[in-house]
Amino acid sequence: MENSRRPWRSPALRNLVILLVVWEVVGQLKLLAGGALPPVSDILVRFWQDRGDYPGHVAATVWSSTLGFVIGNILAIASGVLFVLFPRLQRLARGVNIAIFALPAIAIAPILVLTLEGNAPRVVLAALGVYFVTMTATVVGLSQYDTRSADVIRAYGGKDWQVMRLVRLRGAIPDILGGLRIAAPNAVLGAILAEFGGGGRWGLGTYLLGSLGRGEPARLWGIGLMATLIAGLSYAIFALISARVLGATRSVSLNTALPPADYDADAPLALRIALALGAAALPFVLWWAFIRLTGVPEMIAKTPWGVVDYLFLADASAVARAKLGAALMQTLPITALGMVAGLGFAFLLAISSRMMPGFIRAFMPIALVTQTMPLVALTPLLVLMLGRGLSVTLWITISVTFFPAFVLLVQGIQRVPQSVLDVPRAYGASAWKELRMVSIPAALPYLFAATRLTVPRALLGVMIAEWLATGTGLGNLLNQSRGYLDYGMIWTVASVSVCLSVAFYYAVLAVERRTLTRLGMQVVE
Amino acid sequence: MTEVPGISLRNVCKTYRSRGSQVVALEGMTLDCPPGSFTALIGPSGCGKSTAMRIALGLEDYDSGEVRIAGQAPATATAGGVTGVAFQDAALLPWRSVTRNIALPLEVLGRDPARYGHEIAKLVELVGLKGYENALPGQLSGGMRQRVSIARSLITSPEVLFMDEPFGALDQIRRRQMNVELQRIWQETRSTALLVTHGIDEAVFLADYVVVMHANPGRVVEVVEIPFPRPRRDELYGTPEFHALTDRIASVLHGK
Repeated sequence: MENSRRPWRSPALRNLVILLVVWEVVGQLKLLAGGALPPVSDILVRFWQDRGDYPGHVAATVWSSTLGFVIGNILAIASGVLFVLFPRLQRLARGVNIAIFALPAIAIAPILVLTLEGNAPRVVLAALGVYFVTMTATVVGLSQYDTRSADVIRAYGGKDWQVMRLVRLRGAIPDILGGLRIAAPNAVLGAILAEFGGGGRWGLGTYLLGSLGRGEPARLWGIGLMATLIAGLSYAIFALISARVLGATRSVSLNTALPPADYDADAPLALRIALALGAAALPFVLWWAFIRLTGVPEMIAKTPWGVVDYLFLADASAVARAKLGAALMQTLPITALGMVAGLGFAFLLAISSRMMPGFIRAFMPIALVTQTMPLVALTPLLVLMLGRGLSVTLWITISVTFFPAFVLLVQGIQRVPQSVLDVPRAYGASAWKELRMVSIPAALPYLFAATRLTVPRALLGVMIAEWLATGTGLGNLLNQSRGYLDYGMIWTVASVSVCLSVAFYYAVLAVERRTLTRLGMQVVE
Repeated sequence: MTEVPGISLRNVCKTYRSRGSQVVALEGMTLDCPPGSFTALIGPSGCGKSTAMRIALGLEDYDSGEVRIAGQAPATATAGGVTGVAFQDAALLPWRSVTRNIALPLEVLGRDPARYGHEIAKLVELVGLKGYENALPGQLSGGMRQRVSIARSLITSPEVLFMDEPFGALDQIRRRQMNVELQRIWQETRSTALLVTHGIDEAVFLADYVVVMHANPGRVVEVVEIPFPRPRRDELYGTPEFHALTDRIASVLHGK
């Protein structure tokens, strides 16, 4: 690990310096979009002038995201443990889990602001942002335990909970820390998005929203970079902790036996159907319960039935459907186009990474940093540079899908053992042939996983861009409906975007399973 | 007074079933280990020798027959701390020090490890790991890790000791050394020992009785008594008597 990391540390630093110098020159000469990219020095000066504003806003954002991070992760780890102990519970909660994963945070931010008070929307959105990542990491970590160590515990009459306590929980810590690392920037993004949705005086999101109309690029950049710094630091803290924990206690030998699959194949058909139906119904039950528990009047908070009523039965339903349809026609094509382009670039660059390892080593840190950038803080900056046209939406979608897909694909390709590559080489295969025979098939499962994982991000990116910049599509409809107090439409857009995201996730999963099964490969979680 | 056998399997049958196909792992296996004896279970892969051990440890169910460990049902015996076990791989918890790995069975049995400080120190010395008490498994060699696993199997002062190829991962030379040590340790504890192994040399060197098994279906074909006096020394490997016995067991193994 140490050896593979050191070599690119210094080139990465060198690239950063080059980047800053180029940035300064471009900014000073107003080369980009008539001065929309201010030089680094201007940003720093502006930051210094605004220094009185920052502490309050930063403290508010850090506080909400930390609180949400803690609450979300406690729930996530507890759920993960329960899911592993009771696999049927996991199947029942599947619909809820996927919905939480797929929900575009910006779509439910207005809803949370409507139904909850004070700081709660920010905390909830931050918690929702971390739940899925940590829960999945916990389940994966607890499932991949050393069966031989578990045998030792059981050979002394140890029960399942003792195996859990003595072997599995401790063994899962590296995975859980890995999850927390990825989850931390999500919490910051969630909190800022909720600040965007309204309410409150403090918070970087509020600050950003207040500064948007004032045409001060240097300040927007300052806020964006500050948000990135907070998110990046939260990532770095957990990266450091996990590096320390991992150090001495790495497993000393490879376990060849796989843990028993918790496969419920012999459960009666009726039970399996009941679980599937329950899993589909549970998100709606929770939605309904949430409304009842918060006690918000029916005028404002719509139940699932309320949304159906609004969209299909009420007097004005035809108008609502027309508005929604028009918005979808604007949002969906651009999302699809951006995703295809982003994933395509990522795939091409990743499979050719074997041929230019030096470039990848220098590029990976940048790719990793962009993953921690709070999207919402970047959008105004891209708007400044690219204007308010369609291209800004497209660029945002491409960038939010490209980087995570690229990182996932490169990591996947790097798992191909050298010996597998040596076989075609030993028979004198050309670089292209080797690519076709080894790298592309090896990258395929990761391409599917990347597609699945980036759908919600792409939709989120498009909606943020529409909300802040282009004034079209679902994002704009959501923002407009807030202004018109059209609560039915707010709930409708939120539920439709979540449903779309979930539906697309399952569509990709279905194609993925069929394709990979035919190729004899495994689905990447 | 009739002696209660350390390990007793009577007519134990076990079949693995999975969609349509079934494999008979054990067909009416019977095994008696007198208390304080050392028995080696030998046979080709898939003859059910590991399965027999796992059944005796209560790690696996069986279809029919009777299993008694020191006169008790397997689950009762293991939960009462009557048994000790060492597997093919050391299976140490990588985040626990040597002493805390040795203490693991105590924690599972709900005993207070703090009260076993003296026993743990004695075992560390017995397996020759003095000075490594606080080392993590990752800092030890393969042989040292196996010795930790042997020490762990002895911490409850078990009446019955199970070993599934405890030195399978070691090279031939280390293995012979470890076998001499194992004999010494076992002689000090005087427990009933059952060793599952692939190695004929190892079985003859260590055991009072060598139980030869065949596969498909898994069953006992012969029990060979080993008469060599103890303590047995490394020179035993070179003697004609030793070779006569290993040859005989090899021919039984190969069904001649």
